[in-house]
Amino acid sequence: MTTRINPHRLVQASPADLKHPSNNIKRIVLSTAQIAVEAHPAKWLRTPSKPKSRVLVIAHSDRGALDDHALQTIAAAAILADAETAVLALILGELNDDLSSAAADEVMILPALDFQIFQPDIELASVLAIIELLKPKHIFLPDNLIGDGDLGRRLAALKKLSVATHVLEIDVQHVASAQSGGCVLAQSNLPEVILLAPNAVDAELPFTAKATRIDAPTINHAASPYQAHYQDMGLQTSAAEDIALEDADFIVSAGNGVQNLATLASLASSLNAAVGASRVVVDDGKFPRDKQIGATGKTVTASTYMAIGISGAVQHLQGIKDCRHVIAINKDASAPIVKRANLSVIGDAEAVMQALMIEIEKAKEVVA
Amino acid sequence: MKDSVKHIAVLVSAGRHPVSGEPRHCHNDSLALALGLNLASKVQVLHAGTPSNPALQDYFALGATQIDVVPNSDDIIESLAAQLTDANLILTGTRAESGEDSGLLPYLLAAKLNVPIVADALEIKANREQLEVLQFLPKGRRRRVLVSLPAVVAVHPSAAEALHFVHARKNLGNINTLHASNTKMQTIIDDSKQADSKQWRAKPARKPIKLIAQTAQTGHERLMAAISNKAKGGTVVNEGNNVEKAQVILRYLREHQLIEF
Ligand SMILES: Cc1cc2nc3c(=O)[nH]c(=O)nc-3n(C[C@H](O)[C@H](O)[C@H](O)COP(=O)(O)OP(=O)(O)OC[C@H]3O[C@@H](n4cnc5c(N)ncnc54)[C@H](O)[C@@H]3O)c2cc1C
Repeated sequence: MTTRINPHRLVQASPADLKHPSNNIKRIVLSTAQIAVEAHPAKWLRTPSKPKSRVLVIAHSDRGALDDHALQTIAAAAILADAETAVLALILGELNDDLSSAAADEVMILPALDFQIFQPDIELASVLAIIELLKPKHIFLPDNLIGDGDLGRRLAALKKLSVATHVLEIDVQHVASAQSGGCVLAQSNLPEVILLAPNAVDAELPFTAKATRIDAPTINHAASPYQAHYQDMGLQTSAAEDIALEDADFIVSAGNGVQNLATLASLASSLNAAVGASRVVVDDGKFPRDKQIGATGKTVTASTYMAIGISGAVQHLQGIKDCRHVIAINKDASAPIVKRANLSVIGDAEAVMQALMIEIEKAKEVVA
Repeated sequence: MKDSVKHIAVLVSAGRHPVSGEPRHCHNDSLALALGLNLASKVQVLHAGTPSNPALQDYFALGATQIDVVPNSDDIIESLAAQLTDANLILTGTRAESGEDSGLLPYLLAAKLNVPIVADALEIKANREQLEVLQFLPKGRRRRVLVSLPAVVAVHPSAAEALHFVHARKNLGNINTLHASNTKMQTIIDDSKQADSKQWRAKPARKPIKLIAQTAQTGHERLMAAISNKAKGGTVVNEGNNVEKAQVILRYLREHQLIEF
């Protein structure tokens, strides 16, 4: 009697089977977990062993981390660098992250030059000293409003360097920026100073780099020719409710799973956060239309986005794609928001919010 | 204290209506003019370009009484700087947020005149020999900065200055064309490298191409990448009571320095 082979059996292909040259059978294998791992082959190391030249990326950090725009700028430099060029990331402000996955070959940190303090003359003097020392071929900066756009323009104007600002398109040969009210996409050869617009580069890289820490040269500010023309009188942060959602740094957002909006409002005020909402909640008339976040509402860029009782429909996720830290509170562990969130707490929205407010009060008392 | 800053100059450019393309005033420069007129009853208004540009009349409607026009030349910065050697405060607009303009002009002028520059100003107040500037920063942050005079200040588009547009004033102003000859100060030789119009090749607008790293993937790798669930997902906390869950959130916020307590 012949034994029948079960046609519905699980295919048992190992990664070795697929790799072996004698195994020419092409098949689609979906069932084994090991093979899915193969989909992300180890990244290769880009760092040149004997670099002949350097490119410099300058970016301010915010609370010890670089934002996506800064990471994109490092990625651009790394993609364009040839095999004999090293990418040096000069970070102004503290840095807690490792920049090897950002593909910086070398990292130099000047913690005193935090973006919160206005000291363009000292920043410029420091950067000039480093440029003098390392003679980079190109200097990349994110064209932002936390000091990098300003610094790049000061540098180019003072040293009469060729420069392109708000660069929307870049490759080995050219850069392009919008001119004449957006009617023209003007192109130029790669200039010495490149100020990149956000999202002109994909920061997802197939390679990593060594991110070797190198010490900054000692910079003698007293001897610098830049007089102290400026005096910083301090930073002020507006109350969260006065800030437009697009401009807010911390948003607590209400979805259909929030029973008690008053709890959410007081949680938001204890975190000094702005309040947003999903479309369902806005459609219910609980919030004005200008609080809606998503494809048909507002696109927000807050560093922290707390999604409470929000399922995370694609239309909603579109509006928060640039948020760095997404925290979800949801009773359903399979809700799509859980895949997007950096931290998901599975539980009842009202109960977790109440507990969180008590913890926040306690934490504030300890500090005070 | 009005009029405590002597000789304020405002640089204005010609804008275009975003839909019709009609020439009109540039919003940012109009804000600069309004801030200037707050500080002093009379300011010098300067434009580099053609005297007959109809957009200039908008600035009369916005309070200018005379516009000095510096004719276009090879080096606009040079010609403008020659007019501004006596100015104590030079106001301009900042580049549009949408990046339709390089935003370099105020920096080049400041470098040429060897004076400090503060960009993204929302409010300005005269304070003896200094100027107090409220500066825009993203995410609802603002910063107060003192800058010594003379200085260049570039005004941010969200400066909350109300523009008073009086149509009746449109034809009342006087356009004063300056001669190109007296705009020449000196010729700088190594300016050839300076970014200017010569560097750029104009191409019609299209969607910019994003820079993406080349990946040498086999067909199989591409397939697996497409079908495997790429969404990384973060930490999921299922266990514990509500207090413990709340503590996890608080710890996360602290670890990433997202709160200050
Ligand atoms: C063309 C189009 C455009 C759209 N544009 C937008 C847009 O701009 N913005 C937008 O937000 N949506 C938009 N939508 C709607 C979107 O598809 C979703 O329907 C909507 O985002 C869902 O909102 P929600 O997550 O608040 O509600 P629901 O989908 O009802 O989800 C509620 C969530 O709360 C959880 N929950 C319930 N009770 C509790 C509890 N007690 N404690 C904790 N969690 C609880 C549930 O598990 C669920 O995940 C659009 C849709 C279309 C078709």
